[in-house]
Amino acid sequence: MKKIDVACIIDDDPIFIFGAKRMMELANFCHSFMVFNNGQEAINNLKPIMLTGEKIPEVILLDINMPIMDGWQFLDEFIQIESHKEVTIYIVSSSIDPADLQRAKKYESISNYVVKPITAETLKNILQEVVTA
Amino acid sequence: MFYFFEKNDYICVPILLNLFILYAFKTSNTIKKEFSYLDFIQRHASIGIWEFDTQTLSLEWSSETKKIHEVPLDYEPSVESGILFYKSGYSRDTITQLFNDCLEKHEEFDEELQIVTATGKEKWIRAIGTPVLENNVCVKVQGLFQDIDKKTKNSITLAQKETQLRKSFENALVGMAILDLDGSWIHVNKSLCRILGYSKEELKSLTFLDITHPEDVEVGKDALKDMVHGNIDSYEAEKRYLSKEGDVIWAKLSSSIIKDDNGNPLHFVAQIHDLSDIKRSNKKVIQLLETTENQNKRLLNFAHIVSHNLRSHYSNLGMLLDLFRMDIPDATNNEIFPLVEEAVRQLGETVVNLNEVAAINIERNLKVEPINLLEKYNSVSGSISALVLESKTKICVDIDKDLYVKGIPAYLDSIILNFLTNAIKYKKADESAKIELKTQVKDDFIILAIKDYGLGIDLKKHGNKLFGMYKTFHNHKDSRGLGLFITKNQVEALGGKIEVESKVNEGTTFYIHLMKDEKN
Repeated sequence: MKKIDVACIIDDDPIFIFGAKRMMELANFCHSFMVFNNGQEAINNLKPIMLTGEKIPEVILLDINMPIMDGWQFLDEFIQIESHKEVTIYIVSSSIDPADLQRAKKYESISNYVVKPITAETLKNILQEVVTA
Repeated sequence: MFYFFEKNDYICVPILLNLFILYAFKTSNTIKKEFSYLDFIQRHASIGIWEFDTQTLSLEWSSETKKIHEVPLDYEPSVESGILFYKSGYSRDTITQLFNDCLEKHEEFDEELQIVTATGKEKWIRAIGTPVLENNVCVKVQGLFQDIDKKTKNSITLAQKETQLRKSFENALVGMAILDLDGSWIHVNKSLCRILGYSKEELKSLTFLDITHPEDVEVGKDALKDMVHGNIDSYEAEKRYLSKEGDVIWAKLSSSIIKDDNGNPLHFVAQIHDLSDIKRSNKKVIQLLETTENQNKRLLNFAHIVSHNLRSHYSNLGMLLDLFRMDIPDATNNEIFPLVEEAVRQLGETVVNLNEVAAINIERNLKVEPINLLEKYNSVSGSISALVLESKTKICVDIDKDLYVKGIPAYLDSIILNFLTNAIKYKKADESAKIELKTQVKDDFIILAIKDYGLGIDLKKHGNKLFGMYKTFHNHKDSRGLGLFITKNQVEALGGKIEVESKVNEGTTFYIHLMKDEKN
């Protein structure tokens, strides 16, 4: 199956980042990663890339609860970027709070809400969705 | 019983003259020829006259006197019959004594007594008598006879009313006072003394302002002026007083003004209702409310910790185990690894359950809707039909098809499901489960009774912790101990309650009280 070129993980939890990367490698998910530890870091780095159009990540796995700038704040800024529609965004959170699920539904640019733990199966589904889209 | 003086021929001229002038108007040469003017006075003042002649022993009554006695105008009284009209006892004894004293000691009398009229009516009258002397001998007794029944009865009623008022003033539970226009006390009652801690004497040496809290001196000042000027008749206010001990007393004051016949203000009547207890308990309620709100906030935080922090650790563990299995499959081929996996799985489940419990408790603005109980039961039992079939469970359903409860569909699903699966789970080992469902309407509630013939619970031992978190009573492999706890929380969130009856080895009946919907 076709691979994703660049996948982006925005999460403050090093264990999750380690696990997700390993899981992606095992699932043959993507060629390369971008990893940011919070929303602010992600915006700061993604904005110039998005504007120049080079090496735009095809998919972002976005955590909600992060320091400095959380997932929601990131989204609010990110959708201001013109080319944001070229990126598929998944919320990947450990929160099972119905309020978070409801809130995610309000964002058009969010493809799905994935409750942690992330599994190889989930990654396969995401890959399927992204490459066929 | 009467002593009559001997007739004396000598008449003192000046006295006679006086008497003549007097009686020319009053009795005219005896009562038979009354002047019309005298008659007029007699009628309107209800005053009759009478005269007793000590020589002829004849008694004469004016027509008004007869009217008061309610005898016909041709009635001829005698001393004896006259005396007998007086009410026996005090009145009759008194008049006898007075009349004798008049004849014997020449003493005038004027007394208020009771008579019983010819028609049997009791009446208050005023009897006045005066001796007419000739040579120091009483020749006549003349007198007035006045009907004072109405006046006396009125004053008696008035006296009773006064007593009533005085007693209710004195013994009222609310503090009461009558004050002079300058704010000094005229009367204070016991309650006011109790509220303020002063004796009556101490209080009377103070003014209203002396016991008013310094910060509330202005309260009602204008209203008092308005009352004095006749703009308003009464006013109410909440203000503080100071007790003798210096304690602040919160009170509700109701004050009104009393005026004389001409509308001039005389004094104030004040009622002072001690609100200290109410204020105190109010304060307590507010404190409790704050505590509860804080606890709710903490619970909310707890729920947040559960749904985010605990879960994220659990999900990392789950993910790492997954990776482990994929990365180093050889290392998982032992006794320990599957146990670690199972422990993590159970941890995940616990976290979900805890989250559920917290969610029920913090849920606000629950949207309840009418739910048909029978339809709900059918859908729930449909979802576990495989379990029912497999376990050969027999279920008897007697739920009225028209019953609607106020509920949240997800909660009712969980409630019914939990009781059904519990009943199946805790059946007797050697026989299949049997469940009976019945409904009963009681006041605003629909009671769903779910009876099983299973193991039963020793309520004496476990009753108080039956619905507690993580309490299990049977060594069943699926016992999590959270079901009843969650169910109870859900039922209570819907405004209902659960009652239980159980006997070991006979079975358990749960009575689930759910609020009846208006749709019924």
